[in-house]
Amino acid sequence: MNRLLALSILLALPSAGAAQAPLQTLEGMWSNPPTTIIGSACAFYCTDVLIDRLNALVDDPANDRTPLGQLRADASARERAFIESRLTAAAKETYPLDPADDPGLLRCEPWGLARQMFAPHQIEIRGRGRDEIELHYGEWDARRIVHMDGRPRPAGPASLLGYSVGRWEGATLVVETSGVAANLTGWRSKHSEQVRVTERFTRAADGKTLNLVATFADPWSLRAPLVLKKIWAWSPTSQIAPYDACEPPASVKRGVAP
Amino acid sequence: MRGRVLSLTLLALVVSIRLAAAHHSFSAVYDSKRSVTVTGVVTQFRFVNPHALLSLEVTDKDGKVVTWVVEFAGRLNLSEVGWTADSIRSGEKLTVTGNPTHEPLPRLSFQRIVKADGSELRPAAAQRNDALEEERRERAKRRTQQP
Repeated sequence: MNRLLALSILLALPSAGAAQAPLQTLEGMWSNPPTTIIGSACAFYCTDVLIDRLNALVDDPANDRTPLGQLRADASARERAFIESRLTAAAKETYPLDPADDPGLLRCEPWGLARQMFAPHQIEIRGRGRDEIELHYGEWDARRIVHMDGRPRPAGPASLLGYSVGRWEGATLVVETSGVAANLTGWRSKHSEQVRVTERFTRAADGKTLNLVATFADPWSLRAPLVLKKIWAWSPTSQIAPYDACEPPASVKRGVAP
Repeated sequence: MRGRVLSLTLLALVVSIRLAAAHHSFSAVYDSKRSVTVTGVVTQFRFVNPHALLSLEVTDKDGKVVTWVVEFAGRLNLSEVGWTADSIRSGEKLTVTGNPTHEPLPRLSFQRIVKADGSELRPAAAQRNDALEEERRERAKRRTQQP
């Protein structure tokens, strides 16, 4: 009994570094979403618009014989309309971007933050010393550092993945990122250097999934904040492999919808 | 060698598109509305990121040997469902079905492989699809059981 009490007190004590507080709840390897209808639909990102629509369609008996892909296409179309309604006139001028213009495809250029954070496959979360947390993504083998000691963003040019500071709100890791160079988003629009992203990483109560809620604000491209979600499944044995064999395609065709 | 066009269900189409979309947009390179099947001998399988690549020597009806390249999802994706660098070996005879490029190039985006012994390799997403259909059936059953 005494041992149990001592263990409870020990677990309740804050650890030394700011990065380490409830880090153990998130630290480790996460990968593809759970193999569920919603998990699959959120393999890149999703909105509540898509989740609600897809659940309604799947649970409607009238759709029992409709292919799931068709239901997902319906929900995705509704989501696209929602996202488009959030775009400014400036962003709509080039929306939706042609996949054939993607520099990641044409020149193997790594993604900027607004795509990288929704990349499929692994995200590995690790504490680095007292005051840093590293987010390591399988796609592009990209790494981000989240500064947990409250330091301000240093002067300097904007970068591909921006500058991230973090804090804990209970067991939720909240990451605020700015200083992101103008680039493309995962929802086929452009964003400006003014973009700011707030990410909230939370482990589900059953411990099996990592949930991300990301809020984007960018006065150049968004009329109102845009909230996107993503899910990873706990995957402790998964490994990130080298990402070193990108080859530009021999030819691309413009004007083909993804 | 001329390919054989196969019909696809809409579901398989969507699954394939999402699979290949990881590193880049599938649609700008490959024609999702067509499928081509070729049979040949493996000369190389590169289990790499962002996309695994297979080289296949295909002999056409005139005896001319053409090297086809088959593009897969990346190693990150394939390893999730148990693929390794040895899942395909040099010298193996394979029948490969995939989406062709928009331009007439000897290149496919992987949909299905049948080995000489009849065993099949399928995209990871196609395997996951079985679980999604099971979830649909369960949800429908629960719905009908509700008072």
